[in-house]
Amino acid sequence: MKGSASITRRLVVTVLILELLSAVALIGAITVHEWTVQLQLFDGSLVANAESLMGAVQDTEDESDNVMLDMRGVRVAKDAVFRVEDERGKVLGSVGEPPHLETSASAAPLFRNTTVRGRDYRFLVLNGTRIVDPGTANGGVRHSITIVYGTPSRHVWHEVLEAVRFFAIATAFLLGITAVVMAWLVRKGLSPVHELARQAERIGPGEWHFHAPMSAKDTAELRPLAAALEAALARLQRSFEQQKRFTSDAAHELKTDVAIIKSSLQLLSMRKRTLEEYGQGLALSLEDITRLESTVEKMLTLARLEQPAESYYATAASQSCSLRDVIEDAVHQSKPLAELKCIEVVVEINADVRLPIDSRDALLLCSNILLNALQHSPDGATVRIAENADESITRLTVRDQGEGISDEDRDHVFEPFYRGDQSRSRKSGGTGLGLSICKAICERAGGSIEIASNAVGGALVTVTLPVKTGDSGSTLSASLKAE
Amino acid sequence: MRVLLVEDEQRLAENIVAALRETGLAVDHAPDGEVGSLLAEQGVYDAIVLDLMLPGKSGLHVLQDLRRRKLHTPVLILTAQESKDSVVNLLNAGADDYLSKPFDLGELLARIKALIRRAKGVSTPVLAVSDLELNTVQQTVRRRGQFLDLSPTEYRILEYLIHRPRAVVSQQELLEHLYDFDWEHHSNVIEAHISNLRRKLNVAGSEPLIETLRHRGYRLREEAGAR
Repeated sequence: MKGSASITRRLVVTVLILELLSAVALIGAITVHEWTVQLQLFDGSLVANAESLMGAVQDTEDESDNVMLDMRGVRVAKDAVFRVEDERGKVLGSVGEPPHLETSASAAPLFRNTTVRGRDYRFLVLNGTRIVDPGTANGGVRHSITIVYGTPSRHVWHEVLEAVRFFAIATAFLLGITAVVMAWLVRKGLSPVHELARQAERIGPGEWHFHAPMSAKDTAELRPLAAALEAALARLQRSFEQQKRFTSDAAHELKTDVAIIKSSLQLLSMRKRTLEEYGQGLALSLEDITRLESTVEKMLTLARLEQPAESYYATAASQSCSLRDVIEDAVHQSKPLAELKCIEVVVEINADVRLPIDSRDALLLCSNILLNALQHSPDGATVRIAENADESITRLTVRDQGEGISDEDRDHVFEPFYRGDQSRSRKSGGTGLGLSICKAICERAGGSIEIASNAVGGALVTVTLPVKTGDSGSTLSASLKAE
Repeated sequence: MRVLLVEDEQRLAENIVAALRETGLAVDHAPDGEVGSLLAEQGVYDAIVLDLMLPGKSGLHVLQDLRRRKLHTPVLILTAQESKDSVVNLLNAGADDYLSKPFDLGELLARIKALIRRAKGVSTPVLAVSDLELNTVQQTVRRRGQFLDLSPTEYRILEYLIHRPRAVVSQQELLEHLYDFDWEHHSNVIEAHISNLRRKLNVAGSEPLIETLRHRGYRLREEAGAR
């Protein structure tokens, strides 16, 4: 499993990392906030303590207009250090050894952080005024009192850390729970994938049926995959079955031909015969072998034409033939059969075009279609070959006056070994490969072939082929230049 | 014996017919399933050789229709399909044997003969009635150890009769089973052949074997305790 990417793991880790980052940010924010709040509280208590000290500054009992610190009733925090001075620098009272901090004249309280005997302290410098005997005529004596009051600030840090620790622990706990729940949820959410995989696992050479499970079809993300799988398998199955049928048909065909040859020879060797009988028997056997040969040849032709045509278009540039020549050759080739059946073959060619097909393939195509038309025509009928070309395609039609073609046959007539009769009677001649070969030639050249019943009776074969534009293209450009 | 061949492949049919005729069987040929079914259901054949893929009507249907009509003619199927399923289906549908193409002509003949024998209740190729011995493989006839020289037709008549001991065989039945449609036949031909056969079987010191029952037919007599 090492090195393989797991969606579950990736999702969980991603979410956890995001959660962790937000938790860290949150904790940072909380720290700042807590610090501010705690510091305000702390400062508040400093001010309160300092104010109460200020309140403890009293007139002296004697006649002088001096002030003194009366600590009765004043509560001072533990560890607190302070010093109360008047304007002349006279220390009215102190606890511990507060540092000498620069003082400002303003009445606003001034906070200072410093260290006293290795401990962090926060000091407040508070300026206040005390008026002795305010009731007298001169308005009394004003005393400026400066109070420096500090307590250890560790307490603030402690509070902040406590809060942060609480949030950190809570976050860790929540992260743990989220991780478990997430893993479970994601795994559950991915169960359609597993189900799809299980279903797909059943596919084998003998079992092509594939129905994507409903759970996969109901999942928006999996629907395209399930549909694609189903479609691909259906296509594969079709092609596999076609191949299987072709193999079985080909085997049947070859076995029959071999059976004929074998029986011919065995019949000949059943007993001693006259020289004449041997001669006849051998001639018949030779005929049988010729038929086998032609069947094999057609199968090989079909196999060759159905090969993937990767290099076809590369070689197509060098291949070309004249449609007129090819049709003339085909008509010439089929002349014996046409004459035997007294069929007139009418050829109407408007313009000669060049096809990007090997001339032998083109001849095979034309003569197969023509032979098919002749075979299905009654004696004395007419077969018409017509050709219409425009700039890029040419349309060749062959029309006979035979029995036409049924809709059912039309769908299958280009399948190998299809003979229009389920039982594959070989009486009509041919192996049932002719039209398949035609189709293969047309498709290889990027064209198409169709067969339909003619309205006036008989069948109409239409071949559409691309026209080779190599030479005509050059003349076209030449004429453009001339303009 | 008369055999029906139902086979659409013309050349193969020609060869099988020729081979069967050379071994002394009368053969009719049907080129498609419809004709084959029609002929087979006449019930005059001693064996039927049936191709599976036929135009008109498939071999399997011909076979099923034949069996539905309670005709028990032995049927040998010729098939180019070799899957186990189709063989099992065929045998279950009432076929007696099958051969897959391409087959050996000699094997086909041997199997047809075996089918005919078994259908007549005989399991060896050598048949004997009283002191008469007929070898269906070598097509020889001996009486009291003495080889008899019979014409092909005489041999065929004797072979048919010996397959049906004690039964009365009418002239019509002999005609039906010994001649195919390609042969001209008249009932008096049978009479002439029977009389020749009787004469040839008549070895010195033996009883006449073939009985004639007026207006009914012929019977091969089996002497009590001779077998």
